[in-house]
Amino acid sequence: MPARVRIQRLLPGIASTALVFVVMLILFGPIVLLAVLSFDHSTIIALDWSGFTTQWYRDAWSNTDLRSAILNSLLVATIVTAISMVLGTMCAFAVTRFRFRLRGAVAGLVGAPLVVPWLMIGVGAAIFFFHYHVPGLFPLSLHSVTAVQVICTFPLVVAIVAARLVRFETVQEEAAIDLGASRFQLLRHIILPQLTPSLCAAAIFAFSWSFNNFEIDFFVGGYDETFPVWVYSELRRAPNLPIINASSTLISFVQVLLVWGVWRLLARGDGDASSQTATVVDVIR
Amino acid sequence: MSAAAHTAGQTRRRRLARGMTPWWLLSAPLILLGLLFVAPLLTLFLIGFQHNSLFNVGGWTFDNFSTIFHTGSYRRIAVTTAEIATVTMLVQLAVGLPLAYVLAFRAGRWELPLILLLVLADELNPIVRIYAYRVVLGREGILNRALEAVGLVSSHHPLSWLLFDKFAVVVVLSTSYITYTVIPVYAAMKAIDPALIEAATDLGASWTVRARRILLPLAAPGIFIAIILVYIPLYTEFATPTLVGGTGSYMLGQLNAELITESGDLGQGAALSALLLAASGVMAAAAYYLSKLNRLE
Repeated sequence: MPARVRIQRLLPGIASTALVFVVMLILFGPIVLLAVLSFDHSTIIALDWSGFTTQWYRDAWSNTDLRSAILNSLLVATIVTAISMVLGTMCAFAVTRFRFRLRGAVAGLVGAPLVVPWLMIGVGAAIFFFHYHVPGLFPLSLHSVTAVQVICTFPLVVAIVAARLVRFETVQEEAAIDLGASRFQLLRHIILPQLTPSLCAAAIFAFSWSFNNFEIDFFVGGYDETFPVWVYSELRRAPNLPIINASSTLISFVQVLLVWGVWRLLARGDGDASSQTATVVDVIR
Repeated sequence: MSAAAHTAGQTRRRRLARGMTPWWLLSAPLILLGLLFVAPLLTLFLIGFQHNSLFNVGGWTFDNFSTIFHTGSYRRIAVTTAEIATVTMLVQLAVGLPLAYVLAFRAGRWELPLILLLVLADELNPIVRIYAYRVVLGREGILNRALEAVGLVSSHHPLSWLLFDKFAVVVVLSTSYITYTVIPVYAAMKAIDPALIEAATDLGASWTVRARRILLPLAAPGIFIAIILVYIPLYTEFATPTLVGGTGSYMLGQLNAELITESGDLGQGAALSALLLAASGVMAAAAYYLSKLNRLE
């Protein structure tokens, strides 16, 4: 029967679309809902719309605790990103461009913070700082948060940059050396241009990881509150607060822009979609 | 290129490599890792093996560990944790494997945008995401209101098991880690030659045979990576069960945090952390070993 055959042909396509649709709805539905609710006049969660307002955004802006928490998070993320980029790129070069004894062990140690749960790293660091009264890091503060977050974040930069360094042709580097390029020229004209998209993507991911790192902020932050810790402690006090909706929407919007930025960067760095996809996948693995 | 020029080039290359040893590049990262990663984790182990009160540590002992093993409530918490982590992992594989397949073979031009959406799901602030699910799943939440509106649930008896119990914890954890389940499996499937699947189809292999004999064995290394990246950290979850869970879903990560931040019992907290760390190391090694074995075949 042709009709049945046609349905059988279409079925996998329909099933795939349905699967993707349902997964995306579960992943993003609630966040989109928060965004919509953040403009709703009513303070209780309801499906009926009681009027458009930007009041919650103004409230959020004038909440000094929230503002300082966001500023703390931005400050920590900026410093963590800068340090992680330097450390991560150095490591990536060392691991991919040199052959030396203990290379495997070094790569394993550098990769370890990606596998060890952040709760363990945070708890361990908090106890360590407290127990030995490590100067500068105890009493716990944003300084300790920054220090520990660097450890959690720079291995990600290593992974992203190393994946790119392994991928691109060393032939060009060798040709440049044969043609008499200095070490600086080599870096400036051959390596950096090929590496730029990955470096930018790494910076964006590092910033995002640091900004989102609740476990480290919570255990190592002491009395200094960051944005995730602020939301967490507000939620333990009250079930639903319009200013959490508003501030969360704002933060999520910026994060959407950042991921969109990664996409644009990849599109500039690599022509075809498959290599862009490969780069994204490298980032995750 | 003449032989002489070639040799000159090689000498030059060697000269550039000399003097720049990898250790010069690695010194700063390795020192920091030693101070802020290795030393704290070692401290966890050491303090776990010592007698201690809040401000006093001294004398070696196994007490902290034996207390953990012999406290009935801790054992129950461990069982709950294993239950939640395992169910969450299974849910993610049930959704993630088909999704990875769709991304690798059927998505076409939607492949990259969908992967970026998965990346975005991971980049959104975890606490914000947890909060969003609270808004949806609560007794007065969106889902209950929607069910009331269509008459499936009476407004006097909203579904109360949606939030502050295991269900919500599994749902939220599944969404938190889905990126790390799908992407490694997707990457492994992407490496499969589509001709293999076509050949099997042409030879009359059914859908289940293709999945069992070709897709799953070849995607296995990706599945093991997903297990390392997802199943192990699930055992240390702390924020999610605190914010959307209840007494019935109290997990080891919460116990660990409470021992240290609220009871101030560093010794037991450290011992529990050390145990979780050791267990995760063993599980990671096992999964890694299995994935290696698979590649050899």
